[in-house]
Amino acid sequence: MIRIEKLSKTYGRAGSTSVHALKEATFTVTPGQFVCVRGASGSGKSTLLNILGCLDQPSSGAYWLDGEDVSHYTDKMLSRVRNAKIGFIFQSFNLLPRTTALENVEIPMVYSDGRVDRHRAQAALERVGLGGRADHFPTELSGGEQQRVAVARALINDPALILADEPTGNLDAKAADEIMHLLQSLHQQGRTILLVTHAPAVAAYASREILLSDGAVASDRAVGIMSRGVV
Amino acid sequence: MIVTKVASQALRSASRYRLRTSLMMLGMVVGISSLAVLSSIGEASKRETMQRFKNMLGTFDTIIVRPGGGRSRGMPTLVNVPPTLRFEDARAVADLPEIKSVAEVQNAFDIDVQYRDRTTSPAIFGVSTNWLALRSEDVADGTFLTDEQNNSLARVAVLGTDVQTSLFPEEDPMGKTIRIANVPFQVIGILKPRGAGPAGATLDNIVLIPINTAARRLFNRDFLTMLIAQVRNPARGTETTEQVAALLRDRHHIPPRALDDFTITNPAATAAQVTRAGTTLGKILSGVSIMALGIGGIVIMALMSIAVSERRNEIGVRRSVGAGRTAILQQFLLEAVIVALAGGVAGVVIGIGGMQLVTRLQKLPQIILWRPIITAICLAVGTGLLFGMYPAWKAARVDPIQALRS
Repeated sequence: MIRIEKLSKTYGRAGSTSVHALKEATFTVTPGQFVCVRGASGSGKSTLLNILGCLDQPSSGAYWLDGEDVSHYTDKMLSRVRNAKIGFIFQSFNLLPRTTALENVEIPMVYSDGRVDRHRAQAALERVGLGGRADHFPTELSGGEQQRVAVARALINDPALILADEPTGNLDAKAADEIMHLLQSLHQQGRTILLVTHAPAVAAYASREILLSDGAVASDRAVGIMSRGVV
Repeated sequence: MIVTKVASQALRSASRYRLRTSLMMLGMVVGISSLAVLSSIGEASKRETMQRFKNMLGTFDTIIVRPGGGRSRGMPTLVNVPPTLRFEDARAVADLPEIKSVAEVQNAFDIDVQYRDRTTSPAIFGVSTNWLALRSEDVADGTFLTDEQNNSLARVAVLGTDVQTSLFPEEDPMGKTIRIANVPFQVIGILKPRGAGPAGATLDNIVLIPINTAARRLFNRDFLTMLIAQVRNPARGTETTEQVAALLRDRHHIPPRALDDFTITNPAATAAQVTRAGTTLGKILSGVSIMALGIGGIVIMALMSIAVSERRNEIGVRRSVGAGRTAILQQFLLEAVIVALAGGVAGVVIGIGGMQLVTRLQKLPQIILWRPIITAICLAVGTGLLFGMYPAWKAARVDPIQALRS
């Protein structure tokens, strides 16, 4: 699913002022894995996520996503990859304001081939338990509900990879639990999920943990499946 | 395919941010409505001018010859022209191959015309009987002057509608006897109304009588005040005018260097000149409107630029779910165009309203001209495109990573 080889990212000019955000990171994620990426701030988590999400390009190294080497794609090609293969879930939900839940879920379809299918968007909302909230604006929804709308949006184009960046960072414990259960059920349906987090409780849902330190992979290990005993 | 979906997104955005959209529209409304009003008024007054010339001349294929070399002001009359243009001149001009027919005219203004106790002072025109056909006019009632009446110096008259109204407010004038400068004439017809001439004065305060009757029984003058020559080919008006001038110079024995003792006008050319002057005014007015439009465009540019800064997060989100730079560019450009188009349409609607008001006040003909309206709408779209370009380019260049972080 994901294969990165000696992936590096350097900001600024080469020399003393340059920052090496990623240093030759190498790992492979197979389809259906639920991977958690952890690390202190500044360890390169965000940079890695941006590159994996095709929002940014590596300075060197290779990135295969779903069999394609996307490390040298143009903006247009990367946009297409994001649209078809990647679903993002952000810490701050990132729903469009003044736009209903349903219309938010529809947005990825705007940029893919085929028409904007309202029924599909409605079905996606129903899958995250918000079928009755389709006409609500983000301001009328709780944090947990907004994040569920974001999950529905991430799923609408049936992506191969779900990238979640601190998805529970802005949620209370109960809502966080709900979102993690949602991600877990997606995992059980066979989706590949890569999650970036600080919180150990969230990390516990994953089956594999990659620890980043100073831009490099410090450890990569399998963690106890369903360690919290949730099936 | 994607662009139509992007367009629908742009339309939704425009309706979501109502205040911004209406402010942007306002600029366009002002520019477009003034453009629509001014260009339509320009066009309407141009048509009105042409119509008035047509009222005066009847047709545009005539040239007018009047005696006297200097350009005298106003209409020629028996008291202000030299006696140089003769009946024989008219016949000679009519014999030119380029001339279809010639009407002879002998006229005077402010002649007292009485019927019982009523008096009015219209223009009296002694005219040849081909006058009516040459000017493509017609009588509304009765008959026009005949050759027989002309040859027998019959005292018959055809009235303009103003004269009819003054002398016969309630009666049927047909067959009644009026007195023109105390000479009795019988009314045999009423002209159809002609409306206003180029100067705005009425053309219906007129009495037509046979030219021979006028020359021998009323005015006692044997020269003409005017002759109206209908040309065969209006496109060759200038050449024909020169031929007529050469003929008259020859007949009047004018030596080569001396000035003409007559004046020839080509009314079609005059009308065209007047209309051109109107067009110049229209150009100036359009310039002002285009400036207003430019200001509207700058408003769009400013507000769209602010919108791009405010909606960075939206741009980031759209990029993350698969929008390329082009799609973002298209969306913001289309938003500007949609708003400009809406403003343009609103401006046209308001413009038509304003035009109706102005044309009513100015007594111009009520017409809706499609060409300026379509031009105005195209200009609105063009303005949206032009001034939406920079903000859209700015939007396309937003870095999604930074935008998503904020």
